[in-house]
Amino acid sequence: MPTPFKRHLLNCCCLGLLLASSLVSAATLTIGRSADSTTFDPINTTQNADNWIFSNIFDPLIALDRSGTELVPGLAESWTISEDGKTYTLTMRDAKFSDGTPVTAEDAAFSLMRIRNDDKSLWADSYKIIESADAEDDHTLVITLSAPSVPFLSQLALPNASVIPKDYFQEVGEEAFSQAPVGSGAFMLEEWNRGESVILRKNPHYWDRDRIELDGVNWLTLPDSNTRMLKIQAGEIDAAINVPFSRISSLEADPNLTVHLDASTREDHLLINHSHPPLDDVKVRQALDYAIDKQSIIDTVTFGYGTVANAYIPMGALYHNADNLSRGYDPEKAKALLEEAGVDNLTLDYVVNAGDEVDEQIAVLLQQQLSAVGIRANLTKVDPSQSWGMLVDGDYDISVMYWTNDILDPDQKTTFVLGNDANMNYMTRYDNPEVTQLVADARLATDPDVREEMYTRLQEMAKQDVNWIDLYYSPYRNVSTKAVSNFYQNPMGRFFLEDVSLSE
Amino acid sequence: MHRYRFLLLRPLQLIPVLFGISAISFVLVRAIPGDPARVLLGTRSTPEALARIHAEYGLDQPLPMQYLLFLKHLFDGELGRSIIYKTDTLTLLLERLEPTAMFILGSVLLSVLLALPLATWAARSRGGVADHVIRLLTTAGLGLPPFWLGIMLIILLSITWRLFPVSGYGDSLGEKLYHLFIPCLTAALSLSAVLTRSLRSALIREMRADYFVAALARGQSERYIFWRHVMPNAIVPIINLLAVNVSWLIGGSVVIESVFGIPGLGQLLIKAIFSRDYMVVQGVVLFFALSTVLVNLLADILTVFIDPRIKL
Repeated sequence: MPTPFKRHLLNCCCLGLLLASSLVSAATLTIGRSADSTTFDPINTTQNADNWIFSNIFDPLIALDRSGTELVPGLAESWTISEDGKTYTLTMRDAKFSDGTPVTAEDAAFSLMRIRNDDKSLWADSYKIIESADAEDDHTLVITLSAPSVPFLSQLALPNASVIPKDYFQEVGEEAFSQAPVGSGAFMLEEWNRGESVILRKNPHYWDRDRIELDGVNWLTLPDSNTRMLKIQAGEIDAAINVPFSRISSLEADPNLTVHLDASTREDHLLINHSHPPLDDVKVRQALDYAIDKQSIIDTVTFGYGTVANAYIPMGALYHNADNLSRGYDPEKAKALLEEAGVDNLTLDYVVNAGDEVDEQIAVLLQQQLSAVGIRANLTKVDPSQSWGMLVDGDYDISVMYWTNDILDPDQKTTFVLGNDANMNYMTRYDNPEVTQLVADARLATDPDVREEMYTRLQEMAKQDVNWIDLYYSPYRNVSTKAVSNFYQNPMGRFFLEDVSLSE
Repeated sequence: MHRYRFLLLRPLQLIPVLFGISAISFVLVRAIPGDPARVLLGTRSTPEALARIHAEYGLDQPLPMQYLLFLKHLFDGELGRSIIYKTDTLTLLLERLEPTAMFILGSVLLSVLLALPLATWAARSRGGVADHVIRLLTTAGLGLPPFWLGIMLIILLSITWRLFPVSGYGDSLGEKLYHLFIPCLTAALSLSAVLTRSLRSALIREMRADYFVAALARGQSERYIFWRHVMPNAIVPIINLLAVNVSWLIGGSVVIESVFGIPGLGQLLIKAIFSRDYMVVQGVVLFFALSTVLVNLLADILTVFIDPRIKL
């Protein structure tokens, strides 16, 4: 018969063992990334770092599959589109938010109207096409568009358009929700230590919960890329995002680590300001294209991990034209074209993002290559927050920028780059009415074959006109320890943490 | 009692200093080109969206008006809203205060712990081997850039020997101290080099003074004179030197926090500057200025306490 003290001691031991065993079985994946989240209100941000978390804790109506090339059911199990292409009827699955309340069509309608109408929404323009979104019953959502739009389904898969709980949101208010959100995703936010970490736990109410192997995910903010890489080499974290090109080979040689080079939709390109003569002359722009040795940029800057870009729709994205015209490196031809255009002693203002290692290296290479054909490039190094303003104001001749797709459909990027909308074709001031019209037509074409043809044609026309200069495509560069299985980022940037497992 | 009268006057001097700093930080952060709304909107910045955000944060008002609003908020005890974090600047500041305070306190403590024995040893064996070695080491300490030193310490102590974590902060006090050791050591190695050299020469100067010889002649032990008279006299200038260097540490925290992933004010400031998050920059700069003034006040109090002859 144990004395009360001994029993107490025994209880303590049991409790201790219990605690210890639960600690061992708790599989928490720790990921280091360079930037912290800024908010958990999905409509109020355009940062990738925020969207990564949104796809962990929220669910959109329609999802992108693992390969990033196909739309699959999200919170909507199925959908039908009316004959005139304006009415979408979505049937919602039985799902619950992380607080246990059911996800209804009313929540979905509220979320869509919010991203469309709210003052805080940074995405309102993309959803203005919605005329109304109504819940017919708890499981049926009817969306009416003001005009038919083929890209609309893709637009519903954007993490920023995820479904949030209407009642909870209205109860706590916008401010509180942005710090302590409730969603229906695979994980839920447990704690946000600003500047330090975002702690996620498995959502016990997630509709596909059996698929989840991890108990939680810790996203750590480690802004210095040297430190981030040292930290995974020391085994203090399980994965790290954004490996510098220069570190890929040394990390690949580390027997404890796996480097993941997953296909992305990133394209780096050289913007040209068409409103500054003689850059309005297509011959001069073609000369620039011939004067630039893309392969040498890839070899030097990306250590060979990039691919020469031949079209504005990136490799691996929907309707990419692999056979698009590509101007090889030919300085003689560049000189001839410049002479034909009657241009000599050309001096260009080149805006460079200071502090960005890749951008600064490209600038040095381009300066050399351009000088070989008699073009002088004056480098102006400015903060990234300033360079964007200079591009908007047209205060530049050339500048290197990049783009990653947010949605599957090519319409988003095409409109931005060639559609001649509010952004002056990605600040290039490129203007070809024929191209603009084709962009509008392609948005409405419902036959996939016809659309593909149209986008193929657009890629050709853009290349012919040299709207900008396509430089290179590059993969996502992440690293994980060997204990991590299935770590993967799809081309649209989404991390599929619901498939990740950790071994001892 | 009158010795501490300056404590009544100092807070009054604070007012013009803080006014000046608030005006300078307000003007400087707006003088660099760039626009927080453009950072927030990224590639989606249309003129309408920009105008909406400018209106929301009062950036569409004329500059003098913006400054008056900033001062009005200040009197209400508010620092304005962060555009990037979409929350109150004061909240952000308080959240990040502890790691930076711990880092600075740890670095000061560690550098004093290094400098005191080294300087004492060097001064008492002046011209000897120990003195030469210590002077060589401190010269090296002054020459090595803290940024590089930090990376080297990580590679040695964390990667090779696996004694300390590479970066981060931790939850419990023990964990925090454990994480802060290498960053504090990095800062302390530079700081203690300055302190050691100054303290050593101050000690030597005092040991050459007449009172030292006189006391020896009266038969007091060298050990007693050293600790009772030499050290208190030599330490007074060092306290002020330390106070000046704490200001250096506050600035240095910007670099060191980002190398070691410490979620403190330095990192907050650098992110705010790059994204032109005006309110946060103003708030952190104002806070840094206030801390610097307070540290110097503390040094003055200590000086008067140690050396009763000094009147401020």
